[in-house]
Amino acid sequence: MWFLPEEAKALPPPSVFNRNSMWLALTGGLASMFHNAINHKPPLKSGVHRLVLLSSIGWYIGYHVTKREIYHYAKIDRDMKEYIGLHPEDFVAKEKKTFAEIVEPFIPIR
Amino acid sequence: MTFNRLLSRAALVSKVGSRSIFQSSKRDMTNPNWIRVGLAFGTTAFVWGLLFKQRSADEHEYRVRNGLE
Repeated sequence: MWFLPEEAKALPPPSVFNRNSMWLALTGGLASMFHNAINHKPPLKSGVHRLVLLSSIGWYIGYHVTKREIYHYAKIDRDMKEYIGLHPEDFVAKEKKTFAEIVEPFIPIR
Repeated sequence: MTFNRLLSRAALVSKVGSRSIFQSSKRDMTNPNWIRVGLAFGTTAFVWGLLFKQRSADEHEYRVRNGLE
């Protein structure tokens, strides 16, 4: 696609049922309902073909928007990992202490 | 608004800039424009087909590039 680079094709594709699709399909549905309302027609009962068409177009565009979003976050993750790999001295793992070493000895006062 | 005016029959009757009330009538909403309905549903089916084709192409591309196929 013209909005995604070649390397994005190596990423797993999103499911057909994704959030951006649902939102844009809802937007398309609302657009058709508003169109009906402006023309003094019953919003949901009239022009079902328009509702279905606009929702489907919204769903399709949402799929591609999701692909772009996945690529965006994958790029950020990859750059972050690369940076951590190049600067290991900044990311030293803290040595773990067990609770036995931290906790003070228990001296009961009865 | 002018787009709707071009589509209404009254514009065919008189090419003058104004419409006369003697030629205009309310839109006939009881007989749907079946061609437009058919085109809309056909385009819908086409768009869904495009979506599923794109999805299967993406899946295939992913498997090929990651050596799973």
